[in-house]
Amino acid sequence: MRVTILDGTRGGRKAEADAREVLISELEGQGWEVTTYPLREMEIGHCVGCFGCWVKTPGECVIVGDAASDLAPAVVQSDVVVYLTPVTFGGYSSELKKALDRLICLLAPDFMVIDGETHHKTRYERYPRLLGVGLLDSADPESERIFQTLIARNAINMHSPVHVAGVLHSEQGTAGMRAEVQQLLNEVGGTQ
Amino acid sequence: MTTSRQVLLLVGSARRPRSTSEALGSYLLERLAEKGFGTETLLLHRALKSGEKREALLEATDRADVLVVAFPLYVDSLPSLVIRALELIADHREGGDQSRPQRLLAIVNCGFPEAQHNDTAIAICRRFAREAGFEWIGGLSLGGGGAISGRPLAEAGGMARNPIQSLELTAAAIAEGGALPEEAVEAMARSIIPSWAYRWMGWFGWRQQARKHGVQRQL
Repeated sequence: MRVTILDGTRGGRKAEADAREVLISELEGQGWEVTTYPLREMEIGHCVGCFGCWVKTPGECVIVGDAASDLAPAVVQSDVVVYLTPVTFGGYSSELKKALDRLICLLAPDFMVIDGETHHKTRYERYPRLLGVGLLDSADPESERIFQTLIARNAINMHSPVHVAGVLHSEQGTAGMRAEVQQLLNEVGGTQ
Repeated sequence: MTTSRQVLLLVGSARRPRSTSEALGSYLLERLAEKGFGTETLLLHRALKSGEKREALLEATDRADVLVVAFPLYVDSLPSLVIRALELIADHREGGDQSRPQRLLAIVNCGFPEAQHNDTAIAICRRFAREAGFEWIGGLSLGGGGAISGRPLAEAGGMARNPIQSLELTAAAIAEGGALPEEAVEAMARSIIPSWAYRWMGWFGWRQQARKHGVQRQL
């Protein structure tokens, strides 16, 4: 089982490093093959909304030569993709989002209807399960509700067969975060 | 630039030469200019390019009485460069003097015909306003942005009727110092093209563009 972690932490904070370490150790402890992308250290240009990845080079971003070109195949060939991010105004950090914006090449441009809403069709036969792991200093119901909704909405658009979202709190300490991560992995199917 | 009421438009689309985000934001700024506001527009893909430009962005934000953030929906949320700008603004304002009231509204457009795709992005902007010390006055949500396709609203014909109505109401509310009226929110969210027609237009348009590059079979 392969898991790709898109690490959108901004760096310099011990709690973020602790959360990342807990997540990786729990995944590896369950025998998963883990690849982590520390996005803040990667040169990734922002998506310019040109749709070239649909109409010029279908399935591949037209921006070449930066680190994002590795991400799309890594994500779509995974069993689980993890979005690790400080919860930022309820959503993702800019570090995580600069990577996600470059992944629309994984979808096809044509539209389909899901539960009465328009979405893009699949390009591939299978897509990874989605695990969103947010980081906050302490509980914040409004922020966490937005984060949960965002993960659920991404799961629809990215055709993820399973999605789970949870928020770790610095004040939980490492032991508390570990227990929370174990629960999230159970829910996303990490122990199966 | 030194009028008593200053409005700053931050455009979060990197698309050139024109974007629907800029078309919507510009229309609002033109109406506000008519009502005596000083106006300023920054394109975020340029404003974040260097330390000097980022500093100018923060100074412009400090000057603004009203901040308008207009952007396209990317993956159910704000484009990364908009999030980066909001992170910088929030960091800059943390612990600062926020006694001068500054108001914020968001205008989001998406490439799906249903405006409700924008709801999460609007919630994120509202939350940003709270964390960064702005008074949130509301969010406008447009579906089917591809039908406007960056044209100035005055040139977009009947497609732009609802957005124009919404922005006229919004400009009046801002000038009066109030929050966005529900009527303005509803007008922007009203469908500008039937969903089936939009999907058909997409099907046709994608193929037409792909054919130019010889890749129509790979869509």
